[in-house]
Amino acid sequence: MSALSISGLGLVGPAGNTPDELVSALSTPGGPVDVTGMYEAELPGALAYALPEFSTRAELGRKGTSFFDRRTALTVIACGRALADAGVAVSEEIRDRTGIVVGTTAGSVRSSVDYAVETFTQDPPHLVNPALFPTTVMNCAAGQSAIWYGLRGVNATLAGGRTAFLSVLRYCRTLLRCGRADTLIAAAIDEFTPHAAWLTQLSGADVAPGEGGAAFVVRGAAAARGDAEVLDVRLGFCPRDTDISTALGATIRGVLDRAGLAAGEITTVASGTDDDAFKATVAALDGRAPRRLRVDEVVGDCPTAVGAVELAALLSEHRADPARDGAVSLLVARTPEGAFGVAAVRAWSRS
Amino acid sequence: MRRVVVTGLGPVSSIGIGVRAFEAGLRAGRSGVGDITAFDPTGFPRTRAGEVTAFRPRELLRVLDADRWGRSACFAAAAARLAVADAGLSEVDLRDASVVVGTTSGESKVIEEFGRRVAGEGFAAVPAALAEQLPAGRLSFAVNEELGIAGESVTLATACSASNYALGYAYDAIAHGDADIVVTGGADSVCRWAHAGFVRLGAVAELECAPFDRDRTGMVTAEGGAMLVLESEEHAARRGARAYARVLGYALNCDAHHMVAPRAETIAACMRLALADAGLTPEDVDYVCAHGTGTLANDATEAEALHAAFAGRVPPVSSIKSMLGHTMGAASAFGLIAAALAIARGFLPPTINWTTPDPAMPWLDPVANRAREAKVRVAQNNGFAFGGNNAISLLGAV
Repeated sequence: MSALSISGLGLVGPAGNTPDELVSALSTPGGPVDVTGMYEAELPGALAYALPEFSTRAELGRKGTSFFDRRTALTVIACGRALADAGVAVSEEIRDRTGIVVGTTAGSVRSSVDYAVETFTQDPPHLVNPALFPTTVMNCAAGQSAIWYGLRGVNATLAGGRTAFLSVLRYCRTLLRCGRADTLIAAAIDEFTPHAAWLTQLSGADVAPGEGGAAFVVRGAAAARGDAEVLDVRLGFCPRDTDISTALGATIRGVLDRAGLAAGEITTVASGTDDDAFKATVAALDGRAPRRLRVDEVVGDCPTAVGAVELAALLSEHRADPARDGAVSLLVARTPEGAFGVAAVRAWSRS
Repeated sequence: MRRVVVTGLGPVSSIGIGVRAFEAGLRAGRSGVGDITAFDPTGFPRTRAGEVTAFRPRELLRVLDADRWGRSACFAAAAARLAVADAGLSEVDLRDASVVVGTTSGESKVIEEFGRRVAGEGFAAVPAALAEQLPAGRLSFAVNEELGIAGESVTLATACSASNYALGYAYDAIAHGDADIVVTGGADSVCRWAHAGFVRLGAVAELECAPFDRDRTGMVTAEGGAMLVLESEEHAARRGARAYARVLGYALNCDAHHMVAPRAETIAACMRLALADAGLTPEDVDYVCAHGTGTLANDATEAEALHAAFAGRVPPVSSIKSMLGHTMGAASAFGLIAAALAIARGFLPPTINWTTPDPAMPWLDPVANRAREAKVRVAQNNGFAFGGNNAISLLGAV
């Protein structure tokens, strides 16, 4: 039995707004763009994989968007595109059982840090903008998306950095298996801000900062076959004095065993820019080296959304190429602290 | 479905660190609220908070280097250390456990320091060590690292109901066989910017937090770590562990209406969903551990929802935020610890600072000022949050 059925995908970011555009970008990456005019604050570099022309008002209108931060606006857009792609019309009948699960690293760091900055520059110090206070909480994007689409089902936000999206899939799988929702939107989004750019710089990433991400409509394993099924998704942690390759390898073999997959059936592996995680995966696949999918050349460093963009890339490739129908891929992620996640995904075209 | 029991409690709170001290604090109606020391409150019109001034991370942590982890992660890991000791679990027992931690603002003191550097000298002055400590996922990672746990590590960032979300996920994981043991709870830290935000919203009390009182003036920002050990009943029985309470069920829903103002209709629906999930009726509930922040609007909304869900026959309701202040992402977990103690030890924690009935809720018994001996078979724990993220859990006698 698989863990989840995926029936729609919503994209936002510099790599395109549709599966076709993403496939084109993957074959012919556009490269980073000049972002020097985007913010008054100093940036660590002139280039980023960002949307310099993005305007919340132009995309979503004025009503209800005055206090959206960039992450919230991008999340609302991605959720809407996912619902449309899945053909889900939100009616009174499904509102209470339809929810949203969003992955994050620390919410909108620009929103919370700038709030802190205000308390050091205002006199008296509490003269912060009360209307912006909700943007400082990490569940702002999920909460605003629920308001936008009228979704009263489970609304959750999970923090996990590079493993956040796999945590989201695992959490959705548990909610759906336990009957706590019928339909969920699983999303992970990054925003390009000076704060995010400096964090990418400080992390030592050798890729320019990025933004955007993806959202997916997911249902329980019993749902009709959609674009893809998540055969299994597992999380783990590698505490002190233990070897990440061993732990990751054991988890990958466990995922294959439970899904009844042979190592040779894995056609593609995505592990971000993490070479060591890829090597550990190859070792766990008995040395067979499947194709490695990398999305950093089209979206830059997306420390939260990377897993969602990888899944979107896989689904988009499948949609463009019926010859790949039924192929299985692995998503692998880990954080510097030792958290890791693995998902096995089987996908199809829509033909 | 497997039965799930609570076998360990780990409170790191302003009214006591460790389960004995915390229970004594609840029974005595102790206040943990005092003058702010976590930041310079000069210029703020409200200068009180519920700080855990006695928290010495190094005295509780055996593995984590407190200099390399933020305050909230240290709260989570220290509380987890206490909870597993209370449960009598060794590191070998815990190897395959899971960890689920709820939080509102994650490493809010790290964010505060980030802001201080940016305000002073600009982004270039932000050190890499600070950036490393920023991710909120480190709250659960800290627990895994401290206790040597190799199972999954999840941080739920659903604001002030987050640790009820965490409890729910932990419950589902054990009930459906994903794990035998889950260490779960919540953590948050008092910080300058969140205090400023709540003050600016007009939500902060002048001196004390007086939930459900006619003359309540608001909440008090607070902090702490609150962790519980959940275990399958079978696993607990096999090792001869004592259980405080059983997890009976939970529910989550979303107002989808307003980011800040809660909605009674959806909250009442969440209460009904939780009761249905646990297979209970309103008459079964002996005690409600309220969200009870102490603001005029929130308490009125919670009371209205209780009145609706319980068809007017509401059991005693108390707010431990009157003692602790609002510990944000830890609040629901402190509520769970209080509810587990209420069940196991037979008392209702009080709502302190209570003087005057609110004429809008004459039927509400707030367990005013003094703890009360009572047999509690079922306790309901309420959690509400920004984003309309409602989460309600139910604990029962073993």
